[in-house]
Order: sequence, then structure tokens, then C-alpha cells
Amino acid sequence: MRFKLSLLKEPKHILSCVGWTTADELFSCSEDHQILKWNLLTNETAVVVKLQDDIYPIDLHWFPKTVGGKKQATAESFVLTSTDGKFHLISKTGRIEKSVEAHRGAVLAGRWNYDGTALITAGEDGQIKIWSKSGMLRSTLAQQGTPVYSVAWGPDSDRILYTFGRQLIIKPLQPSSKVLQWKAHDGIILKVDWNSMNDLILSGGEDCKYKVWDSYGRLLYSSSSNDYPVTSVAWAPDGEVFAVGSFNTLRLCDKTGWSYALEKPNTGSVFSLAWSADGTQLAGACGNGHVIFAHIVEQRWEWRNFEITLTKRRTMQVRNVSNDAVDILEFRDRVIKASLAHGHLVVATSLQCSLYSTKNWNTPLIFDLKEGTVSLILQAERYFLLVDGGGIYVYSYEGRLVSTPKFAGMRTDILNAQSVSLSNDTIAVRDKTDEKVVYLFDAQTGKAIGDGKPFSHKLEVMEIALDQCGPSSDRKIALIDKNHDLYLTSVRRLGREHSVHKIVSGALFKTSLNWITKNLSSVIIFILFTVSNLPVLLTCSEFSRTPHILNYVGAQVSVRRADGSLVYSSVSPYPALLHEYSGSARWEDALRLCRFAKDQTLWACLAGMAMANRELTTAEVAYAAIQEVDKVQYINFIKDLPSKESSLAHTLLFSGHVQEAEATLLQAGLVYQAIQIHINLYNWGQVRHSLSLELAVKHKTHVDTVLAHRQKFLQVFSKKETNKRFLQYSEGVEVDWEKIQAKIEMELAKERERAANSSVRSSVASRR
Amino acid sequence: MAKDPLAEAGLHFDELNKLRILEPDVGQKTTELKEECKEFVDKIGQFQKIVGGLIEMVDELAKEAEKEKMKAIGARNLLKSVAKQREAQQQQLQALIAEKKMQLERYRIEYDALSKVEAEQNEFIDQFILHK
Repeated sequence: MRFKLSLLKEPKHILSCVGWTTADELFSCSEDHQILKWNLLTNETAVVVKLQDDIYPIDLHWFPKTVGGKKQATAESFVLTSTDGKFHLISKTGRIEKSVEAHRGAVLAGRWNYDGTALITAGEDGQIKIWSKSGMLRSTLAQQGTPVYSVAWGPDSDRILYTFGRQLIIKPLQPSSKVLQWKAHDGIILKVDWNSMNDLILSGGEDCKYKVWDSYGRLLYSSSSNDYPVTSVAWAPDGEVFAVGSFNTLRLCDKTGWSYALEKPNTGSVFSLAWSADGTQLAGACGNGHVIFAHIVEQRWEWRNFEITLTKRRTMQVRNVSNDAVDILEFRDRVIKASLAHGHLVVATSLQCSLYSTKNWNTPLIFDLKEGTVSLILQAERYFLLVDGGGIYVYSYEGRLVSTPKFAGMRTDILNAQSVSLSNDTIAVRDKTDEKVVYLFDAQTGKAIGDGKPFSHKLEVMEIALDQCGPSSDRKIALIDKNHDLYLTSVRRLGREHSVHKIVSGALFKTSLNWITKNLSSVIIFILFTVSNLPVLLTCSEFSRTPHILNYVGAQVSVRRADGSLVYSSVSPYPALLHEYSGSARWEDALRLCRFAKDQTLWACLAGMAMANRELTTAEVAYAAIQEVDKVQYINFIKDLPSKESSLAHTLLFSGHVQEAEATLLQAGLVYQAIQIHINLYNWGQVRHSLSLELAVKHKTHVDTVLAHRQKFLQVFSKKETNKRFLQYSEGVEVDWEKIQAKIEMELAKERERAANSSVRSSVASRR
Repeated sequence: MAKDPLAEAGLHFDELNKLRILEPDVGQKTTELKEECKEFVDKIGQFQKIVGGLIEMVDELAKEAEKEKMKAIGARNLLKSVAKQREAQQQQLQALIAEKKMQLERYRIEYDALSKVEAEQNEFIDQFILHK
């Protein structure tokens, strides 16, 4: 990935600031009091307005496009700060709507918040002031002895970040809240930026370094010392990359800090940088009077044997690595986003969306987009998902709109790959207003899953991921919360969470298996889930600090290390094969595979899979292989059970689903067996016991059986009856062991008889 | 010789017997002087002209010299700045080289990782073939 630069020929006077209106229109202000408009489509430059001679502009910021959920087509006005201590609200046509005396000395920065309700200005006099939309002073937020060179809003517009000499300060708007202040650079800090998508802070200063911080002020990246002071920094709107400007220097960096590309244009110092809203273009105001334009090219996507490069703004090159065939894809407009996975390439340009199949690069499926800027594309096997300013859209690969999930207060402009996840049947979206909440939708209908209530975690959720294969009833979601703990829960049965591992920084489900990849600070662990939800540790590989998982296709994981290098790691292919066999019920082959591989974990996985599929013979062999004698014995017991229902119930019991086992038995009318389950579980305490009693009372049978067992239990442990309900029932019931034995015999006989009947019936049915 | 009464009266005769009020000798000398004076003036005039030309020429030379001097200074400064420019260029190139080096290092690590994967896969294939 790198910048392609272009400089328009005519140098103007010393430029101070730039700002985009649409993707192709830029406004710039210069020291000669002119505001210029640059049209990139026609390469034309026009003077919008000539300001009064005493206005020397310093900073320019467009009023945000999205206001209160409604999206305007273009920005209508902007704020311009000047050296005479005023800021000016200027309309798009260049008319000065209002000039406000704001500071003593120059106003060095002016920024609208994200919803356009407040404006913040910072001045040479060290004051920071908040203004209403119409330019009325609301409050003076801070006052200090040194000029404030740069200021930025926090993602929720409830905090601001500003410079104080060599320090950075985060100040919440609420007066009582705690102020965060830390020393950030060894020289005066000249520019800061705070991205709303990834909540990361960027700073650049006179010590010639640029640094990336998280919103708690922890250093994530510090560049080596460059040759010249860093005069400007800017996040791309999607938060994936950022740009750094300095004397004769323009740098494109990944959000983790390492640099993709360095350009040395002959521009003088780059004073101000601005990204267009779609994040494909960058403009900079240069010290020698040029406006430098840059757009990102040579982005790469890889999937299996295909390698796609964006060679020009509208051209992609597809290379099939296995046979070196090269295809060129041309688009009508600039490519904004693209995604390659599951055998399909999805390309979003400013007006259209093109779908290519990897089997055929010649005939794309093209449909028009409702709104221009697609900010996110996610792909699953059957569907893909587009996010733009207006909403979330799920499409099938035939180009048909499948659903548009919605919830109250949804803000699509800040959704990113960490806060949305898509699988074949489910969509998960993390709420922005309450980050503990995850909304789950059915992908086909777009309706909320279950009773419509979103899933709520106890801490703020940082990242979510849905698993990608298996039946929809087994759909799982992985959450990483603020403490970097990974949790797993089933989508259809919310509430039962498993804390899986601590200190995790990223999770990704594999595309074709029920696997999750996750990384500790230095290790990557692959976990295979047996269906009983017990994670099994499979492989560990060492990586350097803070790795970032890129993708996980086949048996290969690609990981980006902190320094930006790609590292690949292959996973043992056995589990994948095993999963395939179990999926197609080829248990003989699965056993052969396990015998061949001679791996304990593999046997354990097989045991879990077999048990989940009620394949008792296979499970028995697998458990025997990992020397779980008790389990083998229990399986043998299950095999000997007379009726189908009770063996099913015991299999469920084996997996720990007591409730389901009981329900199965009661449904089949096997009341005694249900009670027996509870009696057998009596080691787990009083609660179970009383439960079994209640069951007996409810069904009017076996009260004496339960009481007899209870008495026996109490005798063994030489305790006295304390449970009131047992006392109450034992009054009217005579315990006679012989009678009870006879009754049990009768029940068992009844069951055997029924089982025989039903097997005859089922064989008759199958013959029909 | 007796004094000529005419001479006493201030009258003289010259060779051409024309009446003169100056003595013929004096008269002749005066004429000579006049001639000489005229010659002198002419010469002085000539001298002035020559000197004027010379001054002009010297002035021109001075101008020329000044120009050359400026040129030399300019050239010297240019030379100095070229050295500086080269330095800046070198610095720029160094920065670009450092960038490329980092990229190379990334590729090297990627290559190493891929080689490892290849080795693992080969090993797996070998093992598979041996077992079956």
C-alpha cells in the first residue's frame, strides 16, 4: 500500500489549511486571504471568496455531515479560525455568516464535534472554549499558560484532547470528571488527532516523532526520530491507516504505527492534512504553496490462490498464483472498499457494487448503491454485508438484498469490523451508546433473534466474532471485553457464558470450521470446540508482541506482527479432516485418522464430536484412547438401556444437560426414570433431592420411592431430616422397600415393553 | 649705435619696412609664443581626450570586474548550496532507503515464516507417505 501523489501546477500563496466537502471537492485557505475551491474531477481551481485583509486563516473545519442521524448530501458550512482572535462561520458559497471574537492572540484550532452541536476553539492565550452551533459561548473549558496548538474531540463527543506544551490532556466535558494528563513528547506537540472508529490517539511534535496512544494514555507505538518535526497528523476516517506530514515528507502508516510507505515530495512542510470522507484520498497544505493530493494505491487482498492488487484508482489486477493467469478489472468510479473471501470479490465504488466470482472474472454482477460511501464490507459463505451511512444491508451473492437489520439508536458511521460480525444465519452488532450490549439478528429476515432483547455483557465489549460453520442452533459468539478477556456464548441460548482465556487481543473464527484463533500478548492459540463447549487447546506458536490476526483460511493462519511483517503459521491438518468426517458421519474414517495421528487432543475432540452426535461406539473407543474409564463405563451403561428415550436422556446427561434429559424422559412418560436421574444425582445436594420429590408429587407416583431413597441417604450420612417438604410428605407415606422394588421392576418392565413395541412400530414405519 | 629716434618713439620698421609699434624681435617671439601656445592647447586637448577615454575604459573594466566578482561569489555560493542540496538529497534518499530496508526486513520475516510452513508441509507429506 502506498500513496500516489499529484501536485497541481500553480503554486499559490502560503497555505494554512484544507478541508474536503465531497470526495472530489476541496477547500483551501491561504495567507493571501483567499479561499480556493479545488475540483478534482475537472482539475479546476476557483476562488470562492477573498476575505478582508486582516483575516489570516489558520484552521478550517467543515460542519459534520451527519447530524442527529439524518445525513446531508454535502457539508454546508465551515468554521475558519484566524490570527486576529476570531473565528468565522462561513457558508459553502463563501459568505461569512458570523464572526466571533474568541481569544486574545490567534485562534489556533477550531473543531466541530461529531454531531455538530458544539464547536471547540483553542487559542494562543492558552484557553479552550466551547461554543454552540450558532457561535454563542457556552463555557471556557480550560485555561493554561501556554498556547494550545491542537485539539480533538473524543469518539462520543464527551471528551476533548488538547496539547499542553509537551503534554497531552484528555478532559471530559463534565466538570467533575477526572482529567487525564501525561507527558507525551520530548518537544512541543504540534498536532493531535483522535479517531472515532478505533478510539486511538495520534500525536506529532517537535521532537520529530509521531506516537499512537490508546484513550487511557498508554503508548502503543512511538516512531523513531525523523529528520524534521512532525507538522501534521491525520487519521483516515475508517481508522485503519493514518498519514503523517513533515518537511518534504508524507508518510502512510498502519493503525499499529508501522509505516506502509514514505514519500518525499518537494513541498516544504506539510502544515495540514485532511482525508476525504471515503478514506481514499488525502490532501495536504504545503509550505511552498502547493496543495498536495494523494490517493492510496496498491492495496492487496489475498484469498487462497488469488492475489488482487489495486493498481490504479479504478483498476484492479487479479493474479491467480497457481497458474499465473492475470486478469484486469476496470471500474467506472473510484474503488472505495473491497473484500475477497469465500470465493467472491466484492468491490464497492462510489456509486456501484460489483460482485465477482473467483471462477469467472469477466462478468461481474453490478448493482447500484443507495448511498455513496460504503464504510465496511463483511463476507460470510452465503451472504455479505455492506455498511454505509444509512444502514446495514445484507446481500446474497446473487446481488439480492436479503435484509436490513436495524435497532433503535443505531449509528452506522462508527461500525467497524470489530463491532459487527456476520455468519451464514446471524448478524451481531455491538451497540455504540451502550458498549456492553450486543444486538443479534437473523441474517435472512433482519429481525432480532429470540425475544428481541439484546445480549448484555457485564463489561464493555471491545470485539465480537461469530463462528462460521455448523448448524445455526450451535451458533456461537465470541466477545472480548475491556479487560481483554475472551468469552464464548451460544447465540440461541444466551446467558451461559464461558470465560475462555485472559488477555486476548483479537479473535477470529475460521471460515469453515468451528475454530477460534486468538492471541495472547505473545502467543497464538488455536482452540477446537467440542460440541459440549469444552475448548481444547490445540497449538501454540510464538509471535512477537501484539500480533494481529489477518485471516484464517484452510490450515493456515496469517498474522501481522507489530512491526508490520506478515507471518504465517500452519495448523495441523488432522482436526480439519476430523471435523469433515464427523460432519459427514464417517466415523470409521475418523477413527482411522485418530489412530494414524496418535494424538491425545485429537482423540478428545473425536470423543466430544461423537458424543454430540450420539455416536456411542465411536465415543467409547475415543474415550478409551484417552483413558477416561468412567466415561467408557457410562457409555456402556447407556448402550444397555432398554428404550431409545432413556438412552437419549442419559446421553444428554452425559453432556451435562440435566434439564433436557429430564424433559426428554417426562415427555416419553418415563416418570420413574426421570426421578431416578435426580436421585442418582443426590450427591449434588439437597436441592436436587427436593426437586425429585416435587416431580413425584406432581405426577402422583413414587413419592414413597423418593422418600425411601432419602431416608437411605440420610442414614448413610447419619443426618437428620431438615427439609420441611420432606417432613411434610413423610408423614402420610409408609416406606416399604419391597413394595418400592416391585414398583420399580414394574416400571422397568413397562419401559422394556414399550421399547419393544416402538421398535416394531418404527421398523414397520421404515418398511413403509 | 645711436638711438633711432623712431625707436625711441616706439616705432620700428620690420624687414618688409612696415611700421610696427613692437620691436621686430619681440613681435616675432610673440608670434612664436602664440604658435607654441596653440600647439600646447591642442596637445592638452588631445591629452584630455586620451585620458577621458582611458578613464572610461578603466570604468568599464571596473564594472566588468565587479560583474565577474559577483559572478564568482554567486558561483561560490551555488557550489556551497549544491553541497547542501546533495546533503539534503542524500538525507532524503537515506530515509527512503531506511524505509525500504524495513520493508525488506518484513519480507524476510514473511519469507522465513513461509519457508517454515513449507518445511512443515513437506514433513507432513513425507510422514503421510511413509505411513501409508
